[in-house]
Amino acid sequence: MGLDRRAFIKFVVGGAAGTLFTPIPWKLADDASIWSQNWSWIPRLKYGALTADATYSKLCPAGCAVKVKKVAGIAYGVEGNSANELSKGGVCPLCATGSQMLRSPSRVAGPMKKDGDKFKPISWDEAEALLAEKLKGLKGQDGKVAAISGDLSGTANEVLSGFLAGLGSKSYFYMPADQTAMAKTWNGVMGGSGQIGYDLEEADLILCIGADIMDAFGPVVRNQKAFAAKRPMEGDKALTLVYAGPVRNRTAAVADKWVAVRPDGAAAFAMGLVNLLAKSGKSASLGGFSEFADLAAKFGPEAVEKLAGVNAEALKDVAKALFTAKNPVVVVGTEPGQGAGVALNAAGVALNAMLGSLTVLPEFPKAVASAPDRAGLLAKDLVGWLNAVDAGKAPAPEVLFVYEANPAYALPQAANMAKALRKAGTLVAFSTFMDETAALADLVLPAPHPFERLDDAQNPYGLGKATYALATAVVAPEKDCKGTPDFILGLSGKLGVDLGFGAFEDVLKAKVSAIGADWDALAGGAAYVSDKKGSAQASLDAGALSKALAGIKGEGLVLVAQAHLNIGTGKLATPPHNLPTIRDTELYGKDVFVQMCSATAKSLGVSEGSKVKLAAGGADISARVSLYEGVMPGVVAAPLGLGRTAWDPYTKGKGDNVSKILAVSAEPGTGFSVWAGSAVSVAKM
Amino acid sequence: MEEKKTTKCGGGFLAFVLGFLLSVVAGWVVFPSLLYSELDQPIQFSHKIHTEDQGLTCDSCHFFREDGSYQGMPTNEQCSGCHSDVIGQTPDEAKYVQEYVQKNKEVPWRTYQYQPDNVLFSHKAHEPFECTECHLDVAKADKAPKYYENKLSGYSRDTMKMWQCERCHAENGVSNACHVCHK
Repeated sequence: MGLDRRAFIKFVVGGAAGTLFTPIPWKLADDASIWSQNWSWIPRLKYGALTADATYSKLCPAGCAVKVKKVAGIAYGVEGNSANELSKGGVCPLCATGSQMLRSPSRVAGPMKKDGDKFKPISWDEAEALLAEKLKGLKGQDGKVAAISGDLSGTANEVLSGFLAGLGSKSYFYMPADQTAMAKTWNGVMGGSGQIGYDLEEADLILCIGADIMDAFGPVVRNQKAFAAKRPMEGDKALTLVYAGPVRNRTAAVADKWVAVRPDGAAAFAMGLVNLLAKSGKSASLGGFSEFADLAAKFGPEAVEKLAGVNAEALKDVAKALFTAKNPVVVVGTEPGQGAGVALNAAGVALNAMLGSLTVLPEFPKAVASAPDRAGLLAKDLVGWLNAVDAGKAPAPEVLFVYEANPAYALPQAANMAKALRKAGTLVAFSTFMDETAALADLVLPAPHPFERLDDAQNPYGLGKATYALATAVVAPEKDCKGTPDFILGLSGKLGVDLGFGAFEDVLKAKVSAIGADWDALAGGAAYVSDKKGSAQASLDAGALSKALAGIKGEGLVLVAQAHLNIGTGKLATPPHNLPTIRDTELYGKDVFVQMCSATAKSLGVSEGSKVKLAAGGADISARVSLYEGVMPGVVAAPLGLGRTAWDPYTKGKGDNVSKILAVSAEPGTGFSVWAGSAVSVAKM
Repeated sequence: MEEKKTTKCGGGFLAFVLGFLLSVVAGWVVFPSLLYSELDQPIQFSHKIHTEDQGLTCDSCHFFREDGSYQGMPTNEQCSGCHSDVIGQTPDEAKYVQEYVQKNKEVPWRTYQYQPDNVLFSHKAHEPFECTECHLDVAKADKAPKYYENKLSGYSRDTMKMWQCERCHAENGVSNACHVCHK
């Protein structure tokens, strides 16, 4: 038999038919599908032990005690640490995204130096040598070196402020917050010592004047836990919550009563309560109280109605509730957590003193002996100083350090403040993320993410007991970053400034030892809580407060900026995981929304969805109108945290930055910079 | 003409049958040896020495962690509990100590039944079964078995296929819903 063409074809056909009875086609098809799982761009799971390490997250303003969940040492999630007294197993919307933010595209990869309009990478040694050279000639000259800190509770501040003091500079400032305004009031004007606290756990009535305790004021998670503990789903409630503020916000939403109060009239409302309680026989053992009570007498129900927009009956109802409660606590603050004046805070202190609820926490002992006292630094006026620098009334610093803060974005009149920052000879940003201030800086020195570093928190503002928490590095650094206090300690060694320590870990160990706490317990995630109380002795300066209170007008259109933790803070842009939580009435497309009630909208000639321009303090933003009857007449509410010009593609260019139109003024009598309830104009575009 | 006709009928059929048989033989006999690479483990590990001579059991090295997840292959941290230095006579142990323990490098063991990432296989859930119901019985082996790597997919020949999982689930009355294994 020969193999001709026809036979060959049959041979091939037979072979092809034969393969169907073999594994070849079926196995190849199966393997091809499995092969597609091996493509290089397909993510690979990390296998290994599942662990959850306790630490303290400093991503939110107050901080949450968390457990970082890891697989084979790689962080993938966050849960609350129920063993910690501070947040009792809860976690806020920012700290919950902590593990994702480890890999944020906006993280600074390593030290960088400005080169024209761009940055070029440098080594840590080069950065240290460069700064040492610059600072050498500035030693002993006050005002030549300055620093801004956005971390209001960390001992890192002792290292930085001690370093500045060693260089002969007093220009150390904290970013403004309700805490700094209270420090200005209690420690500055009233001459008190320690820190004002709020014992919400023991309260049977909480009156919040402006303070949005469920979203923006102090330790939000602890506030929520304290509220929830006394408001069980079933059974009797043991706590009444009253919210007095211009917007039915997240605190008002769960409150028993919302009293609409103009943001510029909050102090008048508080003084009205002081007056009614004084008339009912309540008094306080604060110096100058009788003069203060005389001053409060000017804030009768009619005056309060005119200045705060609260009618006499509502005011009397609140006073009656305070009078009859066993343990009432009055929490004063602002919707955005910043911008209040001394008058409101002093009235808040007076109210608590009259009700027997004034809580003063003692300051923990310092670790760095040469560092200035924390309370004194907190009372300083950063905005006032930067305004003076901008106006040429104060010298611009040759070197300005910015630590854990984003003043170019988050300060009121943000554009002006950024201009003042640019006047510094060398702007140094110690930042984990490429924020707006880092983008402006001459030198960007990446700080480790809070989960990658050793850090601490002493007395986060708003707590009712002296509390200390320690943060430990629970994951390995994913970038070429260095702890800022360690960098500063290295720099101080080069400049001959002796802070008494060579490493930040030793500073913290000295701190923990001075407090009398147990390092191992703290490192394991427990909080140190002390029952010690500070001195409640202070004087109410009726003279200064009289002038401050006389400045309240109670008329015109005012702006109330709202801080929402899910959107972010000045220091942290919206984490990508939180973007879906932003409502259509806050941001839609690239438009930020401002809220007002229909009566206000009618008076302005605008309606739902109208595009408007808001102007104040020489700046303006564009926005769209959202009608919401939870905003009192005469008030426009706008969310903070949007309108980023730096960060990542997920947040950049969305909405506008409301901080730009927070108009700053000096509080009469105290000179303190205030912007809560600043006047605003709205024009249809 | 007649001769041509013969070729058309008989020769054509035979060619078809020949092609059919050859491809069947190639498919069942030759194809598997072409499809798989025959590989050795980086270290010729003797289970026999560890089980018979040292009295270890499977779960001495292949254990569950506290969180319930399965350790799988032991790491240097566990092995160097005994092998921080060479303690035996075998060249492979010396190689292991020098190449991996002293250089702090994990051994890239080849896993006979490695599952892709889209499968969640919980050893804990399968704890009641004998290891050898799914795995090669290596407890008394003096040499690690050959590892057959599929040249196309990159997976081991012994990686369990979905139909095997499904059949076992069906036989044991366990749900075969997608989400049971694909999380």
